[in-house]
Amino acid sequence: MSASETSIGTPQRRRPDILPYIAGGLTIFVLLAFLIYPIVTTLANSFAPTGETFGIGTATLDNFQRFLTSSMYQKALVNTIVIGITVTVLATLVALPAAYFVARVEMPFKPLILSLSIIPLISPPFIGAYAWVVLFGRSGIFTYYLQEWFDLQMPPIYGYFGVILAMVLSHFTFVFLFVQGALVAVDPHLEESAKVMGASRLRVLLTVVLPLAIPPMLAGAMIVLIEALGEFGTPAILGGEVYVLSTLMYFQIHGYFNLNAASAIALVNVAITLVAILFLIRINKKRRFVTVGSTTRRAPLHTGLGVKIVANLYVWGLLAIALLPQAVVVFTSFAERWPGTVWPTRFGWGNYVYIFSRIVEPMQNSLILAAIATLACVVFGTLTGYVAERKSFAGKWALDLTIMLPFILPGIVTGVALLVTFNSGPIALSGTALIMVIGYFVRRIAYIYRSVVAAVAQIDPKMEEASTVAGATWGHTMHRITVPLIAPGILAGAIIVFTTLISEMSTTVMLYSARWKTVSIAIYERLETQETAAAAAIGSVTIAVTLLLVLAATRIIGKSMSELFS
Amino acid sequence: MDAQHNIARHTAAPLNFSVRDLTKVFQTPDGPVTAVRDVSFEITGDTFFTMLGPSGCGKTTTLRMIAGLETISSGEIRLDGADFRKKNAFERNIGMVFQSYALFPHMTVFENAAYGLRLRGADGTMVRQRVTETLAMLRLEGLAQRYPADLSGGQQQRVSIARALVYRPGILLLDEPLANLDAKLRVEMRDEIRRLQKTLGVMALYVTHDQEEAMAVSDRIAVFSKGLLMQVGSPYEIYTHPTSLFVADFIGKANFFPVDVDSRDRDMGTALVPGGARFVGLPVVTAANGEAGWFSAPHKGLLMVRPEKMWLSAAHGTKTIDASSVFTGRAVRIQFLGTFVRYLVESPAARGSVIIDLAAFAAGVTEGAEVYFGLKDDGMIFVEAAS
Repeated sequence: MSASETSIGTPQRRRPDILPYIAGGLTIFVLLAFLIYPIVTTLANSFAPTGETFGIGTATLDNFQRFLTSSMYQKALVNTIVIGITVTVLATLVALPAAYFVARVEMPFKPLILSLSIIPLISPPFIGAYAWVVLFGRSGIFTYYLQEWFDLQMPPIYGYFGVILAMVLSHFTFVFLFVQGALVAVDPHLEESAKVMGASRLRVLLTVVLPLAIPPMLAGAMIVLIEALGEFGTPAILGGEVYVLSTLMYFQIHGYFNLNAASAIALVNVAITLVAILFLIRINKKRRFVTVGSTTRRAPLHTGLGVKIVANLYVWGLLAIALLPQAVVVFTSFAERWPGTVWPTRFGWGNYVYIFSRIVEPMQNSLILAAIATLACVVFGTLTGYVAERKSFAGKWALDLTIMLPFILPGIVTGVALLVTFNSGPIALSGTALIMVIGYFVRRIAYIYRSVVAAVAQIDPKMEEASTVAGATWGHTMHRITVPLIAPGILAGAIIVFTTLISEMSTTVMLYSARWKTVSIAIYERLETQETAAAAAIGSVTIAVTLLLVLAATRIIGKSMSELFS
Repeated sequence: MDAQHNIARHTAAPLNFSVRDLTKVFQTPDGPVTAVRDVSFEITGDTFFTMLGPSGCGKTTTLRMIAGLETISSGEIRLDGADFRKKNAFERNIGMVFQSYALFPHMTVFENAAYGLRLRGADGTMVRQRVTETLAMLRLEGLAQRYPADLSGGQQQRVSIARALVYRPGILLLDEPLANLDAKLRVEMRDEIRRLQKTLGVMALYVTHDQEEAMAVSDRIAVFSKGLLMQVGSPYEIYTHPTSLFVADFIGKANFFPVDVDSRDRDMGTALVPGGARFVGLPVVTAANGEAGWFSAPHKGLLMVRPEKMWLSAAHGTKTIDASSVFTGRAVRIQFLGTFVRYLVESPAARGSVIIDLAAFAAGVTEGAEVYFGLKDDGMIFVEAAS
């Protein structure tokens, strides 16, 4: 047997392990080229005279002058701030009771409630907005009956009322899922010890449970605020005369192709967002809790009949209202004739027949672009997430910030930045599929990055060391140990990225070209030409396809839909 | 050819492993911190070598530098002349067992064990033979297709040992491998680890903070304190002849009595107890640097005595012994520990409280009672303050 003894010796001496450096270098290059460079260029160009690029000698504040002189600009600025804050506050207020009820009251169908709550997140945003027109517009269904039966006059849906209503109902889910998850996870020992010390039920709620829900609530509110400040679809459809910064940017580019003016608006938009985020972070900093869960036991649920009735009414009522737009979209898609009457005069599959030949290409485009961008996010998000969690190095905060940057940038700003940077010059990409993929990539890489950071933190680093000591190179350890273990995390992130990209609007609207129209653009175009029913049909198909994909994916990785999004 | 024979054959020419002036400096936000300073030792053949010390003493950092998981600030590590500094961790051909076991949760027991073999390009037949053989040695037959999550803590630890041994590494490194097991299993496993190590003839480097465990398994023990290697020796040597107050105190129990240096001749000396008694011909040890705080002025010496090298009796009636070598004190606690009885005695003559182990209860001594106690003739060490 001595032959076999000698055949297993020391692992061969290999070349120096350079793979980590190649991977790291490539990642840094990608981040610099497609993230830092466009954003810096855009911000610089907002100081350049119209039609030029930034130069020290020619720097000017002309592009910002409209904020001082044009009342339209000033109003848009005020509108953006007012709508952003109102939507955030209302969405939080609406979501909190629902989160508490679902987490702490005995209710049937909880998984279904959680799954339904994410539907607003994955449907095309503006189609939902348009559904409100169908309901509450000048000739809307509700408007008609309210007038007819109660002689009530609805406020006009176009403007503040519509924009805020639509945005609150499509965004409250963030706060809902975050707070609900946190309340379920709170160590019951905390509440028990408060009770043992003599605190009443209400006192425990006010002094222990709710304070613990504040950090996740603020985290959710922050996402709502960022989304609300950068939202394009809803104000574009429902804004009417009420302009916000994102719609102004769109006009500057699609109306006048004035990149410098758009850059200036983008800069102002980013500044508002940053101020808002810093404010929220500041509040949150004062509340750092370490809740070390020592038990997997759950807090006891309320079982009182009164509480159960209230909870069920509230939660199902909220879901019914939030899902109303989706229902209306599906309903409208079957309306073959709707000649200005209250109800459609003929129903049928006609709209689907009509759009069938027209939806194949945009759907194909959406899926292809989303898939490629998701793949890129997976590769680079995984690498950066791994490095950020495992290694300590100077400038780690810079990496973190770089990745998270597009997360806090309004999507339309990212679109403008890429358009401005790659419109001409050494790398001209405007009008290509590549620029859209890049836009999607930088917008969504943070999701994968976050997922991977969380997943890697769960893995004992000793496991990787055990692999290394056993004779594995860095690449082998990544391939056989690390990546398989974090795969569920990566996959969960990838599903969110992919499904939210299928109907992405804010960045797409800046970057698409005739050859690369996506489903969201197809819907938008139908809406602009008053082909409401056709738009609804495309929207219904998109929602159905996205839901199917999410369901299939959740089956594969064994997580529930709501777990993915929180 | 049977498995045992095959494994025994592996015992190759005795290895020579050496660590010289090993130093590790960590850069922290508060400036550099030296975790390990100028550590040197040498191990040969199938020695079971243990690095022992309280947490933060540098023992684990030293082990990790040997494994290649931590960079070396200065110094060298050699195995049979080969410079470890020039090798990546994955080229050093070592086996390592972790406190957290670090089993790969997505692989079966078999695949965990086979991991290192596959990396070495072993073919399917050899992988199957070796893994089966090794799992059998660790009494894991029948568990090969299980996943780590389905195993008990003890079984997981066996798998991690199997994984580290299956490719016959040059050295086996064990980083507090028993810390997560319960007390009874810990004793069982430590004997088993030593039995395996001797059967396979593999050099072992073991890290623990448990001095009893170290004494039980080791051929040689290296005692660490604050990044310094304080003493290396067999368990008997470091217990009976500690070369510093730290080692005397850390290994087993020890009592310390402030004394004066009466006379001193090379490594022998005479200690003068404040009460007047004189102990002649004691081995003298000079305290390590930084141990000046142990001495209470004006006394420049300490007498170190193990609890089992002391006697104790009730304070009344015993007047036959030379009064100058008898201390008085108060028994504050009496612990019956099965094979012996431990008395904790408060006395102004000692530094801290005195521990006295007797084979049986001392007649007439109750908690709170006044007692006489003193030193037996042997087993004393005279520690002199560093000048």
